[in-house]
Order: sequence, then C-alpha cells, then structure tokens
Amino acid sequence: MFFRVVDKERLPDLIAGLSSDHEVIGPIEKDGRFVFAPISDPSQIRLDYDTTLLPPKKWLMPPEETMMHFNCADEEVTDDTVVASPRVLFGLHPCDINSLLLLDNVFLQGHVDPYYKARRDNTLIVGMSCTPSPTCFCNVWDTDEVHWGFDIFLTDLGDRYYASLRTVKGAEVLDRHVDSRAVTEKDTADFQQVVHEFKQGFSNNVDTAQLPVLLDAKFDSPVWDDFGSECLSCGACSMVCPTCYCFDVKDRLEVDQKSGARVRTWDSCQFKEFAAVAHGQNFREDRSSRLKYRYYHKYWGYLSKFERVLCVGCGRCTLACPSGISPVKVIEALQAGGSR
Amino acid sequence: MNDIRVDECACDGVGNAYRPWPARITSIQDLTEKEKLFELRLIDPEVREAFKFHAGQFAEISIFGVGEAPISISSAPSKQGFIELCVRNTGDVTGALHKKQCGDIVGLRGPLGRGFPFEQMKGNDILLVAGGLGIAPLKSLINHIHDERHEFGKVTIMYGAKNPGEVLFRHQFDMWKHREDFDLMLTVDESDDTWDGPVGVVTKLFDQVDVDPDCTYGAICGPPVMYKYVIEEMRKKNMDVDKIYMSFERRMKCGIGKCGHCGVGHQYACIDGPVFSYWEAMNLQEAI
Amino acid sequence: MAPRVVVVGLASDFGCQVQITNIEDHLLEMLDVIDLGYWQLASSGHMPAEYDIAVVEGAVTTLEHVELLKRLRKTASVVMTIGTCAHTGGIPALANRCDLDAAYSAVYGEGSDVARGRCAPGPVHSVIDVDYQVPGCPIDTDEFLAVLSKALQGLADPLPGDPMCAVCKTKENVCLLDRGEICLGLVTRTGCGAKCPSLGRPCTGCRGLAPDANFDAARKVLASKGFDPNELDRRFDLYNAVREGVR
Repeated sequence: MFFRVVDKERLPDLIAGLSSDHEVIGPIEKDGRFVFAPISDPSQIRLDYDTTLLPPKKWLMPPEETMMHFNCADEEVTDDTVVASPRVLFGLHPCDINSLLLLDNVFLQGHVDPYYKARRDNTLIVGMSCTPSPTCFCNVWDTDEVHWGFDIFLTDLGDRYYASLRTVKGAEVLDRHVDSRAVTEKDTADFQQVVHEFKQGFSNNVDTAQLPVLLDAKFDSPVWDDFGSECLSCGACSMVCPTCYCFDVKDRLEVDQKSGARVRTWDSCQFKEFAAVAHGQNFREDRSSRLKYRYYHKYWGYLSKFERVLCVGCGRCTLACPSGISPVKVIEALQAGGSR
Repeated sequence: MNDIRVDECACDGVGNAYRPWPARITSIQDLTEKEKLFELRLIDPEVREAFKFHAGQFAEISIFGVGEAPISISSAPSKQGFIELCVRNTGDVTGALHKKQCGDIVGLRGPLGRGFPFEQMKGNDILLVAGGLGIAPLKSLINHIHDERHEFGKVTIMYGAKNPGEVLFRHQFDMWKHREDFDLMLTVDESDDTWDGPVGVVTKLFDQVDVDPDCTYGAICGPPVMYKYVIEEMRKKNMDVDKIYMSFERRMKCGIGKCGHCGVGHQYACIDGPVFSYWEAMNLQEAI
Repeated sequence: MAPRVVVVGLASDFGCQVQITNIEDHLLEMLDVIDLGYWQLASSGHMPAEYDIAVVEGAVTTLEHVELLKRLRKTASVVMTIGTCAHTGGIPALANRCDLDAAYSAVYGEGSDVARGRCAPGPVHSVIDVDYQVPGCPIDTDEFLAVLSKALQGLADPLPGDPMCAVCKTKENVCLLDRGEICLGLVTRTGCGAKCPSLGRPCTGCRGLAPDANFDAARKVLASKGFDPNELDRRFDLYNAVREGVR
C-alpha cells in the first residue's frame, strides 16, 4: 500500500473536489445522532461521528428498490435496468468497510446481484479512523482494522491525516484534488501511537471462543427463551445491521391493473412470516427460535460459507433494540448459560 | 466517472438472475382436485437451450402482479425443451397459475438448487419414498431413472397419499403396477371403494421390502413430519447416512442464496439444497 | 365488465372517504377499473341493489348498522373496511369503557332520541366477515389503492403482523422512546411507513395491535426508559378499546 499525508485543513479540498463529479455521501447530524446523507457543503460533514442510524449498505441496497417493471398481459419485463451514478461514501469507519466486504460475498459471488453490483462498482470508498464507543465490539472480530475494500483510508493524527491509498482510483483522486506530501518516519511513528491508543479504547472483550460449537451444543439452551421473552420481534436489529442482507420481493400493480413493478424491501428473520411456507407450515413460529436463528446464522451459518462471522461489532443493534438485547449479552450468556 | 447501468455489468454471462423468462403453457392436466400438471416451454430458444436441469432441482414460477413461487420440476432432465411442474393450488401464485389456460404465458426462472446425485446413484439399487405432493420432485428422478434404466439395479417406489383421490399420477402408476423393472408400492391413509391397494402410512410398506444396504440409495420427499419416520425405517435396514437423500421444502424466494428466507440450520435450502443427504441433514438444526 | 363498488359509512367522521377524494392523481384511472355504484359521501342517489365490492367506513353503533352490514355481506362478494373505526371500533368504541346510556345522556342530553336502536360500538368484523382491511386513521391513499388492487385480483391480503419499529428504522428516525416520548410503535401494526414518528410525533396505535407484538416486553421497555408501564395500555386504548376484537 502507498501512503501520503494530508493536512487537516486541506480535507475540504478533497470533499469539494470529489463533489465535482460524484455524489458525496458522508456522516451528518440528525436529531443528535448521525446519518449518511448527501453532502452539499464540506462543512456539513461530521467526521467526529460515533456511528450512524443506518449503515452504509442503504447506499448499495436501498431499503426499497424496484427490480423490474413489467407488463401483465404478456408476462413481459419492460425494464430491469437501474442507473448507478458515481458516488463516494466518505468517512466510513473500519467496521462499516468490513461490512461491505461481507455483503460482497453474498451479492457478488455465485449468481451476481446486478443491482448491488452496479452501485458497488460505481462507489468510491473513503475510510476514516474512529474512537471506540461503549457499544463497539469490532475488536472482538478483528474488524477494527481494514486492509482492503476501500480506495482511501484516512487515519486522524490530530493535525493531519495518514492516508492509505489502496486503489489506483484512490491515489488518483487524492493526487488530483488535494495537496499531500510524502510520509516521514515521524508520521508513521505517530500513526502507530494513534493505533496503539485506539486499541486500548475498547470496553467490550467478549469471549467468542468456539462460538459455532456453542451455538450447536447449546441449541436448546434456556438462554434463547430468556432473550426470546424480551424480544419484541420488531426487526429493528436487522434494519440497522450493516451486514443483514435479507429481503422480501413483492409485486405492485399500477392503478390500471395492467402493469407494475417488482419491488424488493429489507426483511428480517425476526418477523413471524419470514420462514412460513404456502401450506401453512412455519419453520420458526415462536419468538425465541427466530431470535436464535439470527445469531445462529451470523455466527455459524455465514461463517460456514465465507469463513467470517456476519457481524462487524458496530453496536448499532445494541443501540436500536428497545429491549437492550445485544450480541455481547447473548454471547456472554451463551458462554455462561446451561447446555442442552 | 460515468453512470453504470445494471444491464451493462457483467453478471456471469446470464444476465439478471432475478429476471423471469416468458414460458408458454403447452399442456395442463388435472391430476386431483388440488393439483394440476403444467407443461411449460420457454419461448426464447437460447434461454430454453440453456435450461439444463437435474432431478430434484426447482424453478421459480412468476406471474407478474401476483408474485413468484418455487416449484419442483417433475419431468426428466433427459427430456429437453420443456419442463413439467406439478402444482398444488395453495396460495396466490399457484392459485393464479391454476386459472391459466393452455397457451397462456407465465414467467420462469431456473433451474435452481442442488438436485439428487444422479451420477453417484448409478450402479446401485434405488429406494424412493414419497408422501403426498412429495412425489413431484421424485417424479423427475423416477423418470430419469426410467430413461437410463440399465444403469440401475432394483428400483423400488413407495408412495403414500391421504386418500385415493389425492394419489398423483395415478394413471401412470396404475400402468406401472405390472412392470417388472419398477417395484411400485402405493398406499393411502384412508381408503374408499376405488382402492384395492394397501391402507396405512407409507412406512408400513418397509416390512415388504428387502434392502441391500451396501448398494442402495434412498430418496425421500414428503411433508415435514414424514422424514423422521422414513429415515428410521431406512436406518433399520442399515442404509448408510450418506446414501439417504431427501428434499426439503422451505420458503425459497430468490432461489439464488440472497434473500435469506429458506435458511435451514447453517445452510440455505435454495442453493445448498433442496436435496440434502441424511448426514448433511443431521447437521442442520431444525431440519428434521 | 368492471366490478361495481359501493362505499358506505357507519359511525365515523367520514375522514377516510375524504381520503378517497384525495387520490386525485389516480381517481380517474381508478374509475376505469371499477364501476363506482354508490359513494355515500359524494352520491346523491340511492345505493344500487346489486354490487360486487362493499367498502365500509366507520364503527357499528346501531342495530341499523348491523342490518346494513348483513345486507352488504349478502349482496357483495367482497367486503373491505377502511379506517380505524371499521377495523378496531376506533374512537366510537371508547364508549365501551363507560356506561353507554350515561355516555349518550352526557353528550346529547337526558332522554334524547339520537341513535335509535343503539348497540355497543364495535368493529365491522364483530358483525360480519371481512375480506380486506385498510387500517389507519385516516387511511393512506396508496395503501387503499394497493388493497383495492388485491381485491380486484382476488388475491389474499393479510395485514402485516409485525410492529412498526423496523420501518421506522429505515426512515432513520431517532427512537422517540429515547427522546422522552411514549411511542406505541412497539406494539402497533406496521404498514403506514411510520408516518407519525417520521414527523416527530409518537405512534398512537391507530393501525391496531400487531398480532406478533410482545406486549409484556413492551411494558418492560417503557419501564426501563423511565415511564409508567401501564401507560402503554392506557394510551393504546384510544383506538383499541375493544382489544379482543382487534384483528
């Protein structure tokens, strides 16, 4: 990887420069929290944000999107194109960049998801270092670091950024839009110091030893009923999760009843109908089995396919769950709780 | 940078995997009160040519304005150019399909999923056990075995239905009763005056068969409650856990491992299945 | 031939029928696919003897309503309710929480002769079977068109059973419970797109109880956020006084 150093006061130049031929999406404030939204003025951007309400996935796979338009009379697809305009996701933390790599595994392998791919291919990623907050547990999954999946990554050294350039595109836009200089030994030493302090900042050190084994061995543990009784089955955890990718597909007819659109929306395994089949059978009828499935899939199902857990420890579900259920609590209970 | 359009991006050479292709209904047969057999022919010759499937795979039937439903393919892979789907009228999509006429057009995506290990099964005896609508995917396997009959040893088919009126493909099975190359055993839970065969659950038929466990593959499909009992019988006959195959019904929606609805244990029924060996199924939580 | 539709109102403020007029952009298109035989709010004529789809607004409060509903059910092949009053009994059903005669006297004066043959206010489905429901106070025009489309196609349209929170999250609303407000979205049937919370107003439960909601857990949530847990029930009564009847 190549590295450059950018003075902090020069950063608006980069955002302004990128804005000339991209839609720049970055963290801005909303009612005391933060959202990834289009930036019209570099001063709007809040690089001191802790986390956002929704993860960056919404810019690659929106909560609702039209997959195709159709004509009922001859069962014809009239249009299944989507135009992905050039975009920058600016200021993504390592957890969120890692989450996109996990989504890539699902949507870009096997049968490629063309909607995701079109947007992914046309999105530039500029990462930004962060400070651990009380709900973060990325350290547990090693997703507090990121080594690919971005074009530029900026580590905050106080008065300047240590810029890691991962791609030609990243190097090119940095060179074009902002004054930067070569890295000195002191810069790298300061970078190391910042990383060292960052690593000391985590408060959650949950024991994940042999988690897939525990998930199977304690599949019938009362732990699941305990959390199940608290669960509202509201699906908030899935919506705010940067790695949850499940979706539902529905047809919507125009008022003329002759044409319409096939639309997909984010879905959640916490909803009762999620695993129900046509004859009335529901494979996960009760709350606790649905809650369990979410963890089972994240920490074993996905792992069995892609060798990583489907969680980056961003803590959004912990913040979003009205009942305060969190992966940290669930894993701790599983480590401590009774076996079958 | 320029806009990227979805139809321009390279998608494993087959285009948008979510896009159904128009297929014409070329024949409709009433099988029972609830089930019809549809023969479909993809209209685009290139798409039709590319639709090569294995027994046990499924397709997504699409009716725009209503939705999609996963249906197992009943015809044999050896018959190219059309597929047969045995469809029970049970929901919106299947209901709408039942209203269609011969010559009408529906959408089709597939073939999807992992079917039975046909090549691996060759050279062995085959014991097929079907319950109710579970005969639909097994019908494809039966027909395929039929077309390459010399590749297999003894072939036994056990099929149980609720009552004689619900026996699917009864006409064909009636004709097969007299064949010596297929040992066909039909049973119904409740008999009526049209029935002179055995009465009782399908597992009762196991008393009447000899199985050579060293060279027998099992194939099971039926309602979820059936698997446990059939597997018990097969294990009593000492059949190997990795020679018993079964097809699971789950909520396959996208059919390509993305939408998450058909999760079974740590796998997805739509891409890892719907056919699993018993060894695999034992390792799937909530599967049996 | 386009199916003939009649729109009738029981006890309500006719707000949901007004919402139909707000379909403006699609009203003419809609009239291409249905034959609007009668619309209580906008028609001066009488209801035709034959019709296919009966759209009912309002709660049942009199025996006359009961008779009308029975007639609608007998004549129409499809009955569709619009609005909270028809769906849960809504505001009129609040009267069930007190002595009915006393309530009438208090509002209309002692011995007044309004609402002859009055009965305990309730939802339409407490009297007849209902095929399609558009919940909400008032109804959402897009949802009305979507449900009408299902009815025209003869497709099932089960109401969503999940609570509101998920869709509220997709709107990037900061949770109102974390902003010191009691929001009933925790237990209220989703489907409106979390309109009120997106405007900064807590959900008041007008779409009825989400059948898959965990009411006990929701009370605990309120307690954990420093509210009186019984407030959940009390506030939910506003649109859902006939709790057993909520479907």
